[in-house]
Amino acid sequence: MSSSSVLEEIRRAEEFLVVGKGVRRIDALDKVTGRARFTGDFVLKDALHVRLVKSPIPHGRIIEIDAERALSLGPVRFFTAADIPGENQVGYALPDQPLLPADKVRYVGEPVALVAAPDEDLAEKAAELVEVRYEELPAVFDPLEAMERSDVLVHEDRGTNIAEMTRVRKGNVERGFEESDVVVENTYRTGHQEHAPLETEGAVAIPDTQGGVTVIASIQYPHLCQRITARVLGLPHSMVRVVQPYVGGGFGGKDDMGPVVSAMAALVAFKTGKPAVLVYSRRDSFTSTCKRDPSVVRYKTGATRDGRLKAIEVQIILDSGAYANRGPYVLWRATMHAGGPYEVPNAKVDGFLVYTNKVFEGSFRGFGNPQVQFAAESQLDELAERLGMDPLEIRLKNLLRPGSRTITDQLLESSVGIYEAVKLLGEKTGFRAKWREYRRERAGRVRRGIGIACGYHGISTSRGVPDWSNATVILGRDGSVTVETGICEIGQGSWTAHAQIAAEVLGVPVERVKVVGGTSDAPDTGATHASRGSSIGGIGVYVAARRLRERLADAAARLLECDPSDVEIREGRAFRRDNPDDYVEWEELVQAAYGMGYEMSATGYFFLPKGKFDMERGLGYAYPAFSYIANVAEVEVDLETGKVRVVRVWPALAAGRILNPVLVEGQIEGAIAQGMGYALTEELKFEDGRILNPNFTDYLIPTSLDVPEVEEPIYVEDLYEYGPFGAKGVGEMALIPTPAAIMNAVKNATGVRITEIPATPEKVYFALRRAGVVAGE
Amino acid sequence: MRAGGGGIVVRFTLNGREVEVTTRPNATLLDLLRNELKILSVRRGCETGECGMCTVLVDGLPVRSCLMLAPQVDGRSVTTVEGVGDPERLHPVQEAFVEAGAVQCGFCTPAMVLTAKALLDRDPNPDERTVKEAILGVLCRCTGYAKIVRAVRLAAERVAGGVRE
Amino acid sequence: MLPEFEYHRPASLEEAVRLLSELGPDAKVIAGGTDLVVKMRAGLVSPRHVVDLSRLTEIRFIRDEGDRLKIGAGTTLWEIENSREVARGVPVLREAVEEMASWHVKTTATIGGNLCNASPAADAAPPLMVHDATLVVVGPEGRREVPIGEFFTGPGQTVLGVGEILAEVVVPKMRRGQGAAFEKLTVREGALSIASAAALVEISGGRFVDARVALGAVAPTPIRALKVERALKGRPATREILRSASREAKADIKPITDVRGSREYREEMSVVLVRRALERAVERAGGAWA
Repeated sequence: MSSSSVLEEIRRAEEFLVVGKGVRRIDALDKVTGRARFTGDFVLKDALHVRLVKSPIPHGRIIEIDAERALSLGPVRFFTAADIPGENQVGYALPDQPLLPADKVRYVGEPVALVAAPDEDLAEKAAELVEVRYEELPAVFDPLEAMERSDVLVHEDRGTNIAEMTRVRKGNVERGFEESDVVVENTYRTGHQEHAPLETEGAVAIPDTQGGVTVIASIQYPHLCQRITARVLGLPHSMVRVVQPYVGGGFGGKDDMGPVVSAMAALVAFKTGKPAVLVYSRRDSFTSTCKRDPSVVRYKTGATRDGRLKAIEVQIILDSGAYANRGPYVLWRATMHAGGPYEVPNAKVDGFLVYTNKVFEGSFRGFGNPQVQFAAESQLDELAERLGMDPLEIRLKNLLRPGSRTITDQLLESSVGIYEAVKLLGEKTGFRAKWREYRRERAGRVRRGIGIACGYHGISTSRGVPDWSNATVILGRDGSVTVETGICEIGQGSWTAHAQIAAEVLGVPVERVKVVGGTSDAPDTGATHASRGSSIGGIGVYVAARRLRERLADAAARLLECDPSDVEIREGRAFRRDNPDDYVEWEELVQAAYGMGYEMSATGYFFLPKGKFDMERGLGYAYPAFSYIANVAEVEVDLETGKVRVVRVWPALAAGRILNPVLVEGQIEGAIAQGMGYALTEELKFEDGRILNPNFTDYLIPTSLDVPEVEEPIYVEDLYEYGPFGAKGVGEMALIPTPAAIMNAVKNATGVRITEIPATPEKVYFALRRAGVVAGE
Repeated sequence: MRAGGGGIVVRFTLNGREVEVTTRPNATLLDLLRNELKILSVRRGCETGECGMCTVLVDGLPVRSCLMLAPQVDGRSVTTVEGVGDPERLHPVQEAFVEAGAVQCGFCTPAMVLTAKALLDRDPNPDERTVKEAILGVLCRCTGYAKIVRAVRLAAERVAGGVRE
Repeated sequence: MLPEFEYHRPASLEEAVRLLSELGPDAKVIAGGTDLVVKMRAGLVSPRHVVDLSRLTEIRFIRDEGDRLKIGAGTTLWEIENSREVARGVPVLREAVEEMASWHVKTTATIGGNLCNASPAADAAPPLMVHDATLVVVGPEGRREVPIGEFFTGPGQTVLGVGEILAEVVVPKMRRGQGAAFEKLTVREGALSIASAAALVEISGGRFVDARVALGAVAPTPIRALKVERALKGRPATREILRSASREAKADIKPITDVRGSREYREEMSVVLVRRALERAVERAGGAWA
């Protein structure tokens, strides 16, 4: 079965029974009754509780670790780098990050040792009593400073604080700017963002009888967790089993932290022979887990008088904190998305990932893209203003369409629905009229404004980095269906989407399908990140279910005495298409198929075809497909206080087939709230590398009273040839343009461009003061 | 009354049942429920009263169980989500949460369900603003609250509808 | 993990005073727990004794006594928010309480706890200050009355001595011709104030007969803005006078820079909040602008 014929088949299908419907989540009942169990609920008898001993300084050599007082408290165990049996290395893109540092610490909050005790209070007391002597080293906190300095190095062996450099060179930017009638240039800054999943990071490790370990953990990728834990323990992968229980939110952070926390708990279990529980406190979660990379983006855009983009020149500087972690990949993604979803003939982009002595950064919904889209989409509005155009007009002139090329010169043959999405969004919101009206009015203490911003996001891993899908589907003799996948359920609803895909293909009700996921016992399906859980993850389910469906059609044809092509299976029955009354019940069919010798389980492996990428010029095949998004935001700005309230957001999504509109709306509504927090209130404050507000009292994520009304999304179902039923990714999308949409609306309301987020009331107030919109009191 | 380091006997009603437990005076109600009574739907969140994950109802009103000392519930009535409904007999609030798609990761869900129940017990027909004010103290990072608010109002309609019939 | 302590639950106010006097400074009082438990968990205090006042019904009441309202210190913020007496007699307190924290906190947090915690940002304080409330303190030496303006001595500090308990708050009720309002600024709903202001005015014959203004989070304690008040009293109730008087707030305050806001921003916002509170207070006083 070739992939294109599948797409044809999907296109021809007029209706689906399960796909595209707001099917109830398969885990809803467990969750509303409180029966859902999370990592911290698995506290076994005899378990040791693990606590972190953390560095109080941003940079220094470890001279001595003295645990004598801690150990004197009672049955306390203590672990440092010296206790690690395998490789003390948890770095992702680069081998720069120890599980526990042996020689020096690089940020305030870095775990230097672990303490374990049979009760939590004892472990906590003991951790406080561990004395670590440091020789303090000069530290560097500002990435712009760090990239110039070679006297203070976060990693001496690298000889520089620049961890990674990226580039795109398309066309000739000098000529592009020469041909431009207007050029706009600005510098944009974005801050840290903490994931703040309501369930903090955690792992429970249980030693087994064969010298291995089973890990129950809050994760996004069981097989990565398995590999890293095995590496640290010096075990074959097969000796580490990983299982996710319910996970209380991930947002990318647990993709990075899951393996680290698991390896810590596993170390204790492995060394003591006892179960070990490590659940981060909220404070640990603030001080010692990765964040969204802060950025400085210098952006120059040129366009002709009629509003056509001619050239962009972009410099992206990401502050990676103490370790590179996912930073090089984050930077690549930022670099390749720097142009926004527009046709830009000439592009020069340079990216720098810079080490500093602050908490390390990592994966977070959007993965480098929100930072550059904030700049790109702000630029576009500034350009429109110089040209006397409105924001909608300039976008419609430049948006990608089928046949367009991206800034990496990738040809987009199909599945490019952004133009239609923006057009529909403009009509639905009455954007132009409102935008003109608000700009004209600009009177009174509270000003209203409307803004639009777009975004696109490559689905799957970037460049030639291999990506695949895999799943196993098993039919029980009673007709029940089990889907095994490595994809994690972290709240997004992927398992429900998987059940829908299997049910649709096999022709059974969703209730018959059970999903077993998030475990290393299932096939390696890749990570639950990059908006790939339901889309890429779902391909394997689709392929496996198709295989079983063919076998079942074959078996049914023998029972119904017809040709397999005349067999239809739906709603739990197989029947002859020409005579629906001639049928066999599903259970009967499965049993008969078993009896006839058909294999009633199948794997669905699919290796994503990818093209070539030229790293030197940063040109070529960047992603197999892109999802697209546009948000319109309406805001109110209190001029006297600088407080911005987002009143309403209208989203429009082009992400292929919408497998389950209720789940998709949930992703959009959640992403808009998180994007709004990022844009307005969530500010991590540092003093000499120490976080001043490691708590929810002063790190302010949105509450029920802060979130805007989110209108029903516009969907443009621009089907993707390899996606299950044509689906692309959704999870990250709506966050990406949210900061720019809000700041463009603030500009519409006040005439002032805010170039730095979070735009807290104080920052907006002083920006309005500087612009002369308000006078001092 | 007074009690020292050894232990203190606390008697209270938990989900309609009388319970008597010996606990440390410096245990919080959260510690008591999770560690002693194994009521795991009450989540350990920030333990500083900021996130609302540990919400329970005391005498019908929502409180943060991480800020209440265990001995303080002596003689009072505590409700956790287990006392609201079970899979066979869901409370209208729980039904509405399932139907409206108000559940994502599920970590805050028990706290949200309890808060919604407490609200509807006092105010059977809350407007949107009232619902949002009621759940202000329970953070959710997944949903953006939209479907939670819709679920609470859906539950209110159902309950009110039932009364009218 | 909370420190180990002995737990006491006195049956009466008298017993509570006796206990606290005996136990001395090693004892701390708990009611709603919203401050003490947080402080204990952060390791800021580790009392050897905790005295639970949450069951003392004798300090949990709201009583209308004609021209004044008596509120027991053990009354929860939730009870205050829902009290008809408070809504009628001290609406500005209700307004402040409504915007404070969440329902979940207000069901246990008490008015006494909010005041005794003595946070510079305690939102209940400015409304009580503009109402010239009196605090009734009960201790080993008997009862004494403390004007609210003298109650706070510094961040986290009050005039309460060993064995003393704040028992009730006596608040003169709003009179005809008066109007009051509360304003606060936060980065986000339910967050702690960057600054807050309460104002109470009385207008007669087109003039400010009385004007009282208090601010929170802009000095070591909640404070009265006396310079603003002086600039209003006896002057015509015009928007211009109100505007220029509000600017005096800068001279009344001593803000610091902290994680919630800079000194400069607090200075500016104090003026804005005072002006807004005054404007709404004037409107509520029913007095037309002169």
